[in-house]
Amino acid sequence: MVSAMEIYQLLPQAACKECGYVSCMALAVALLSREKKLEDCPSLFDPKYADKLNKLKELLAPLEQASETGLIIHDEKCFGCANCVVACPVNVANDPTGSAIGLGPKSDKVILVIENGVVRCLNPNECRRFGPNRILCNACTATCPSKAIEFV
Amino acid sequence: MGIDLRIITFRDIFQYEAGKKSRFSPEFQNLSAQIIMDKDDMVQLGLKDGQNVCLENEMSKIVVKAIQTDDEPHPGLAFMTNSPWSNQLVKDNINDRIIPDFKAILVQASASNESVTNLAELLERLRH
Amino acid sequence: MAVCTGCSLLCEDIEVALKTGAIEKAKNLCRKGQGHFQALFSDRTVPSVEGGETSLDQAIEKAANILMNAKDPLLYGWSNSSLEAQKVGIELAKKLEAKIDDTSSFCQGQLLERVLKGELPSCTLDDVRNFADVSVFWGADPSNSHPRHLSRFSYYPRGSKRQKGYEEERNCVVIDVRKSSTAKLCSDYFRIPPGGDAEFAEAIIAILDGKMPRFGDKKRMIGLASIFKKADFGAIFPGLGLVYSLVQKMEIFENLVARLNDVSNYKVVPMVGHYNMRGFNELMLDETGYINQISFKNGVHHGSENSVTMAAKSSDACLVVGSDPLSALPFVIARSLAKSQLVVIDPRRSLTTDAAKVVIPSAMSGLESGGKAVRMDGVRISFEPIFESNLLSDEEILTRIMEAI
Ligand code: SF4
Ligand code: SF4
Ligand code: SF4
Repeated sequence: MVSAMEIYQLLPQAACKECGYVSCMALAVALLSREKKLEDCPSLFDPKYADKLNKLKELLAPLEQASETGLIIHDEKCFGCANCVVACPVNVANDPTGSAIGLGPKSDKVILVIENGVVRCLNPNECRRFGPNRILCNACTATCPSKAIEFV
Repeated sequence: MGIDLRIITFRDIFQYEAGKKSRFSPEFQNLSAQIIMDKDDMVQLGLKDGQNVCLENEMSKIVVKAIQTDDEPHPGLAFMTNSPWSNQLVKDNINDRIIPDFKAILVQASASNESVTNLAELLERLRH
Repeated sequence: MAVCTGCSLLCEDIEVALKTGAIEKAKNLCRKGQGHFQALFSDRTVPSVEGGETSLDQAIEKAANILMNAKDPLLYGWSNSSLEAQKVGIELAKKLEAKIDDTSSFCQGQLLERVLKGELPSCTLDDVRNFADVSVFWGADPSNSHPRHLSRFSYYPRGSKRQKGYEEERNCVVIDVRKSSTAKLCSDYFRIPPGGDAEFAEAIIAILDGKMPRFGDKKRMIGLASIFKKADFGAIFPGLGLVYSLVQKMEIFENLVARLNDVSNYKVVPMVGHYNMRGFNELMLDETGYINQISFKNGVHHGSENSVTMAAKSSDACLVVGSDPLSALPFVIARSLAKSQLVVIDPRRSLTTDAAKVVIPSAMSGLESGGKAVRMDGVRISFEPIFESNLLSDEEILTRIMEAI
């Protein structure tokens, strides 16, 4: 997992405060939690930081796909085994004749599906880790053989 | 200096996928020409993760990449996928057993400066 | 819906959207199945003789020629062909008085034979999903070999008698020499030393007989035996780890299964790898009384001398259908095959096609040609082609070779 320190090391470290924070470290933390975007740091777009900017983009790419629930999928690790699809309680509740019994989803109200050999997240808002009544569900990560799903 | 290892073959979905796409691809070679070793065994041979190791027995000799295991310690045991590489080392004295020793390949392992044995070399050996 | 012929689970819920020359989107295929489908678009074979491209007719004629003139031909492969193709293959072996064998010889043959002859109790995977509360993977790692096994049948799905989640209603036991991907997921992992399978089985039998186990951590072994005893319905999935370790001691495993059936209800489903290996073994059993390793020279003879691992060295010609023994078998055996008059029917390029005297390209079974196959648990599954293709199926090619002979 990316750490705030790794992000910090790639920032200009000029403490210009243009992002609204007093230090670059504070921005690093905000970038990690996806409260701020790289565009919030204008100095970074100076050509002399081009290298660092590219590295940062790479580093933060997985975070960018993180849904509002913080769910990140690492395609390259995924087996496409559908353990998560079948174990997800929302999939089970919304799709009793498909994913609940081990088959491909038959409802479009499911969160997780398998496409092109890897998992995809369709309806992140349905996730039990989201919304006012959220709970710390981990059915998808606990059944994954390869840590292909992660919450940040 | 070398050490004795028993190699056990196992299945890996990524190696399988690479072999499906092409037996002749660099990915298939990378994922096949490697051996998962115990940390202490690697220390004994002075090997760091990803360095080359020579595996030799009366059947053949190959050079592959050593990968440090993330499992509990298993000194003396190592793991390779079934592939043209591991098959170089499998004995054929099968007699009545019919089943070759895919899961009991005994070899001498030592650090190596040579490059990883490539598929072209294995194909060449098949022809002679 | 398409059927995936990527492994012997033959998943039937695959949805594929096509565009010309590519798959636009595939739903429900695991990574292994996705690789299998993508294989359509790379490394395809062309008809060739002695390394030079020819017409299909010439390749078939040359193949027939080699097989006809061989003194001791071996016909090998079969587990990646439809039942229809396998039937023609067996007829061809009879006509040529050839040896015939498949991958089961050095794979699940020993166990599958006992299942097919009714010596080991078995059940369908649908039964496992609906009723099983204990699944045992012994020397098997389905996460890598049969990626959807746990999610479709053996651990995570809801079933008619298993309505609650897996944590409440199912135990998954893994016995292996390494902490495989499946071992990381299961509820009870037992690490055994290589070759320790027999002692492990004996220890469980001892506990069931009221004795102390002489193997492993006593407390954990007794705990496992009590999981086994309490189960309503247990399914054991032996993999190659168990088969290779117990080669000549399979009766120990049979004893264990028998003992488990004294205390509860246990079934065995061998982890067949290729999509239709079981189909070939069933056909052979009907035809000859044995599942593999047959010679049709002057009658029907069964014996290890007809297994691919032995016959590769003695046969002067070999027909390989849908298999890559030069990759999968020990080098010395591969080299003998490479030096024989080798004829290969395969949709894709492999080490074996590269060494062959004759290569005949075929349609990919399940993708470009239809047919029937037998899932690892004995359920018959039919499939239709999902891609149009002018390529001949294995069945058609074998029929044409037959006609030419
Ligand atoms: S956290 Fe729970 S609800 Fe959300 S996707 Fe994962 S399994 Fe489903
Ligand atoms: S995310 Fe994990 S559990 Fe889900 S399909 Fe991929 S490998 Fe399987
Ligand atoms: S589990 Fe086997 S049959 Fe099912 S999609 Fe994966 S490779 Fe295909």
